[in-house]
Amino acid sequence: MPGKYHIRAAPVPNRFPRISRSGILAWPEGCLGCNACVKKACIYGVYSESSDPGQVKGALDYLCQSCFRCIQSCPGRTLYKSLNPEYSALGDAYWTPEIVSGLWYQAETGKIPVSGAGYGGAFAGPGFDEMWTDMSEIVRPTRDGIHGREYINTSVDLGRKPKALEFDGQGRMTTPEASLVEIPLPIVFDLLPWSPLPDRIEQAILEGARQTGTLAVTATAPKEGGHRDHVILLLDDTEPPDRELVAGLKMVEIKDGPEVGARQAQLKEIDPSVVVSIRMTMSSESPYRARQLAEDGAEVLHVLANAWGREADGSGFFIKDRVKGIHLVLVECGMRDQVTLIAGGGIAMAEHVAKLIMCGADAASIDVPLLVAMECRACRRCAEGIECPIHLEDVDPAWGGARIRNLMAGWHSQLLEVLGAMGMREARRLRGEMGRSMLYEDLEREFFSTLTGKRN
Amino acid sequence: MDTSFPVPIAVFFCHQIDPDQDRNRRPLERELGSMIRFYPLPCSSRIGAGDLLKMVECGFKKIVLVTCPNGRCRYQVGNVRARKRSDLARKLVREIGCDPDLIATVVSESIPISIDTIVRQLLRDQKS
Repeated sequence: MPGKYHIRAAPVPNRFPRISRSGILAWPEGCLGCNACVKKACIYGVYSESSDPGQVKGALDYLCQSCFRCIQSCPGRTLYKSLNPEYSALGDAYWTPEIVSGLWYQAETGKIPVSGAGYGGAFAGPGFDEMWTDMSEIVRPTRDGIHGREYINTSVDLGRKPKALEFDGQGRMTTPEASLVEIPLPIVFDLLPWSPLPDRIEQAILEGARQTGTLAVTATAPKEGGHRDHVILLLDDTEPPDRELVAGLKMVEIKDGPEVGARQAQLKEIDPSVVVSIRMTMSSESPYRARQLAEDGAEVLHVLANAWGREADGSGFFIKDRVKGIHLVLVECGMRDQVTLIAGGGIAMAEHVAKLIMCGADAASIDVPLLVAMECRACRRCAEGIECPIHLEDVDPAWGGARIRNLMAGWHSQLLEVLGAMGMREARRLRGEMGRSMLYEDLEREFFSTLTGKRN
Repeated sequence: MDTSFPVPIAVFFCHQIDPDQDRNRRPLERELGSMIRFYPLPCSSRIGAGDLLKMVECGFKKIVLVTCPNGRCRYQVGNVRARKRSDLARKLVREIGCDPDLIATVVSESIPISIDTIVRQLLRDQKS
């Protein structure tokens, strides 16, 4: 039996102090100097820099767990707690401060973020939040944890698979051998929707791909070196492919267009073992286009929404719904098992990967989380031509790669948790398992239609 | 924008002044680049004299602390305390032989108001 896939995470410190959700307001002017300072007793060490407990000094906000003990116990009432404006300004309505800070935590530690007892948020919302996964197999604590004896396989195959194997009269297989690329987790790294000068950032992403064993889409493939095995080279569709560059690569990507079939044939002629992925912008036409491409011999379809998981044409369709549509069209025409479907855009959390696979994708491609792993604040100042507040362009590729590795370690652990809770042992089997999910709109229709009549 | 104003400049401000501060400060960040730094605070009283002196040490030519109008502080006296700390920092700067006008306190005329408006007005006033 092959060794288990396991991402070995190790803490990678932040370059900048963590941005905490709230901040302490400590006023020295009102201090009674009672020397029974509640700050001395803070079990999280928020005030550890204060050598004299009689003096209120700067607090290490990011250590604060918001227990409010100091605020309630200070006899002089000199302490207040307030929301941190820098935290509130992180990301946007989709890439919320909670998501961004959760990604930072995982990139720093490689651990699953635990929010503590109780859940204070809403139980449904737009996008992925209107989909709940089946956890019916949680009947007992796992015998020895997610990394124990119960092996859950998260690897997936990218490439075109034969519908059936054919043999000649002598029993020899006549079906040509399929060229497939196996990646150990159903995630590939995609091009970034925005970033400062990308040189060092791209190197960090490739390093992250190398350390996790997956692939990263890049427009400039290294000519040699260890990273070459982890590249999906995005080819320019205006020039003929560079034979030297393509030969020996595992996978290349071309943009969808009228000549896409001919370009795929050209690439297969250069190197028959190379897997060709077709990059498609997600739209209402995607299901029919996917069917057409699959019938024409496409190997991998890479469907992309924008950074917020929506279609770029402004229809507002969310990625999970469109992927479900593509999957069902391919099932209907009997080609689903032959073609590989990768979907990306708006994947912000590990659970989104599992949900997207349940909707019918074989794997997910991620982009913004790679930047956030390197402490990006998702403020998109770089896209507006404003200097990056954390100078992401100067990032050390080794440090960035380790942060991405840690993030993937956290996501891999969460995938194992989700699969284990569903009683599944393979990520491949999760594909299209819509029966293991509940959709808020379906439940709403089911429950309220009896009260309000037809509800759509 | 005319950058004849002494730069680099650091702007500390209470976020109650401008709840949409992250959006509103971007035009100035685009125009002045690394020559301007904004530091939104939960309350202007979060800043201490030591922090202001540290900014002087870092080479900022102007350090501005923007507080809420009198009587409008969410924490009642935060803006008053902030001004005292700024005054203390100015005094210390004078004592070490530097120009105390390196550090300035600006009381916002109203809230909410765009931080961009406040800083542009400040830059105009300084030039004239």
